Amino acid sequence: MLVLDAFLVQAEEWKYGYDLSRITGLKSGTLYPILMRMAKRKLLETQWEAGEPGKPPRHMYRFTPDGLRFARASAAAHTGGGLGQVALGLNAPNSPALDLMGA
Amino acid sequence: MGAPRKLAATLLRWVVHLVPVESQDWALAMLRELDFIEGDWAALFWAMGSTAAILRHAASVGWAWLKNKSNLKNKSSKEAGMNTTGKKALGVGLGMLSALALVGCAFATLRILGTMFPWLEHSHWAYWLAVLAIPEAIFVAATVMLWRKKGPVAAGILATGLVMALHVAVHLTLHW
Repeated sequence: MLVLDAFLVQAEEWKYGYDLSRITGLKSGTLYPILMRMAKRKLLETQWEAGEPGKPPRHMYRFTPDGLRFARASAAAHTGGGLGQVALGLNAPNSPALDLMGA
Repeated sequence: MGAPRKLAATLLRWVVHLVPVESQDWALAMLRELDFIEGDWAALFWAMGSTAAILRHAASVGWAWLKNKSNLKNKSSKEAGMNTTGKKALGVGLGMLSALALVGCAFATLRILGTMFPWLEHSHWAYWLAVLAIPEAIFVAATVMLWRKKGPVAAGILATGLVMALHVAVHLTLHW
């Protein structure tokens, strides 16, 4: 949920790996596998920043429309409690939320 | 640039070259972030976490590829015996690779500790303990634990442990 929450803040803006790590408090070894899984499930789009000449580009991330929908549904289910999660199928064994957590 | 940051950059550059193409973009992304991390030690911890994450990713990509290939082979090959041999060889290879990775980690740990405590660099005891005694003990324990359930993997670990021990024995005989 930490990562989804971080992406939900100004969701249309691109975010950087290290900034996400600072916001969520997650170490790189935890954060990147989550980002990789989200990107693989097409919940996240990635792009290389076209920086100034001579400056190496930086990898950026933001929600895809599907990712945004999923994150909003997860947030609603989380605040709504267990009943909401069941209604959205987030408690199901093959739920995307469980998959993102590596379960 | 401090020594930990240099080590972090070297580690991630090495990872970028080592991993398969599918994982390279991610490894490069982690390397680029190093420039924005304040603090040399924070950069090193970032690099270590990133390395673990990217190696896991590369391993999963490799495993999926192997599984895919194995499935294709299963469909085309009628000789079950061949598949069993292939699986055993794969297990032995995996065991050897794990053992070598452990020795590599031992070397890297010793190097990192060496930058923190320079006297360790000149200590023969620390060297033999970190690179030989502890890994060999782990090899023996892993072999015993895996022997029944994952025999080929255990055999791979044992073989690597024996080769390492033999290498040390030859080295000691020639130099002492």
